[in-house]
Amino acid sequence: MKGNWMLFFCLAAMTFLAGTAVAQERAKSEKSSKSSDDAQLLAACSDPANGNTWPQKTPRASQANHSTSSEQPERAEGEQRFRENCGRCHQPPHKFPPRVMASAVRHMRVRAMLTDEDMRLILKYMTQ
Amino acid sequence: MQKNETNLPFAVSHRFEVTPRLARFLFSVVQFQARIGLAGLVAIVGLALVPAALAQETRDEDEKPVPILQGSAGFITSFDAGDAHVDPIATPVVLVPVGERWLFESRANFETDMVQLPGRSGFHGQVEKQVDYAQLDFIANKYATISVGRFLTPFGIYNERLYPVWIRNLQSDPLILPVGIGPSNSSTGVMVRGGFKARPQFDINYTVYFSTLLTTTPVDSDRFAGGRAGIFIPRARLEIGGSFQHLLQQERSNLFGFHAIWQPMALPLDIRWEYARSKRGSGYWLEPAYKLSQLPFLRNEMRRTQLVARYQQFFTGQLAGDELPPANTKQFEFGVNYYFIDGLKFTTNYGRQFSSMGNKNIWTLGLTYRFVVPLGPDGGRR
Repeated sequence: MKGNWMLFFCLAAMTFLAGTAVAQERAKSEKSSKSSDDAQLLAACSDPANGNTWPQKTPRASQANHSTSSEQPERAEGEQRFRENCGRCHQPPHKFPPRVMASAVRHMRVRAMLTDEDMRLILKYMTQ
Repeated sequence: MQKNETNLPFAVSHRFEVTPRLARFLFSVVQFQARIGLAGLVAIVGLALVPAALAQETRDEDEKPVPILQGSAGFITSFDAGDAHVDPIATPVVLVPVGERWLFESRANFETDMVQLPGRSGFHGQVEKQVDYAQLDFIANKYATISVGRFLTPFGIYNERLYPVWIRNLQSDPLILPVGIGPSNSSTGVMVRGGFKARPQFDINYTVYFSTLLTTTPVDSDRFAGGRAGIFIPRARLEIGGSFQHLLQQERSNLFGFHAIWQPMALPLDIRWEYARSKRGSGYWLEPAYKLSQLPFLRNEMRRTQLVARYQQFFTGQLAGDELPPANTKQFEFGVNYYFIDGLKFTTNYGRQFSSMGNKNIWTLGLTYRFVVPLGPDGGRR
């Protein structure tokens, strides 16, 4: 009986999580479709090899409009390092707040043995 | 992030004078230490240093790492030779960065294998609890990180890098997974590891470790020493490497393995391969995963859909392995993953196992979720 309750609870929790995520995803898709500039940048930033064009990248893409031209090569390098290293094991994550990203990147430096430079560029790319 | 050398926790002043006030303080410390013992004093000093280290300034306040709780949860149902299993899994990970060079990381695993018992209705099972890792990492320099505590045994790539339910492409474990990783997938001891750019064309990564014997469940481990090294060629998106381990107990044998990960530039394809050999058995698995993002229709759905296959073989060794198949085994699996978002995945697969012990079908259906929760101000722009 206890097992059944646990089963129902897990099913309900996962259904709730799935519903929340889908609703969140739809909201973000609607938001991103409003901005044609963002959509163009998103297409430019997409990686056809991985098919990783997550809508969560939209805020970063829109920020890229305002970044200076001197930051562009470093940003591009950071994106490339991000795809080469993170995508080797898992789906590229969406953007987290800067301090969370700093912890995650330090964790990955240890676990995935990122180089010093990879860590710096990926962190810069993910927090811009 | 650039290092702020002036704020390193090791910086000390070279001027040191013993004033009467300082002498009184030192005397009171000695008295206090006599009361609580050396271990107590060390613990108190350690506790006092943690917030001080946490409060260290970094160059960019917005990018100062914050402790986080992350991890994954999964609800997997499988049918193994017709027997239904229901497996809720939760694996919380706690990360506590300290200063600029330290990181405490820990992962626990709570998993229940619920099955139908004869004469009882519903599914029943006990929660299995395990500490996968609880380690303190010190980033010594750009070439080396030193870890002490309990850590995932770095033999091959699956155990350390691909094991979490939100990462793995197929929910079933490879047959050779138990080779070289110890009794509970983890080691207890010390590890030195690092990754660095050896040439402009490639990076090198390495790990060397020593684990001691522990028989206390759920933190048991074997006594062994080993290492792993790999080369990553960014231009080709290819990583190849090898693992070695010498068992310092029981039959005192040598184990070795090889691994490769390739992501061709032109295709949304991941190919992973691993081989392992020990006295208890040997085998390999090969796992291609293809994303349908190149299909010209239903683009939004197709780019979230991934087709996965895995072929694997296991050959028994001279000795019996507790968690390894008792007979030569072949297994083929085919599956589909659908990513609602990058952290939420629906997964299903079908497999067929061929063995002299009997052939069987394996079905799996599940939902996995990855979460990240900051345990402090996250620096987000609101």
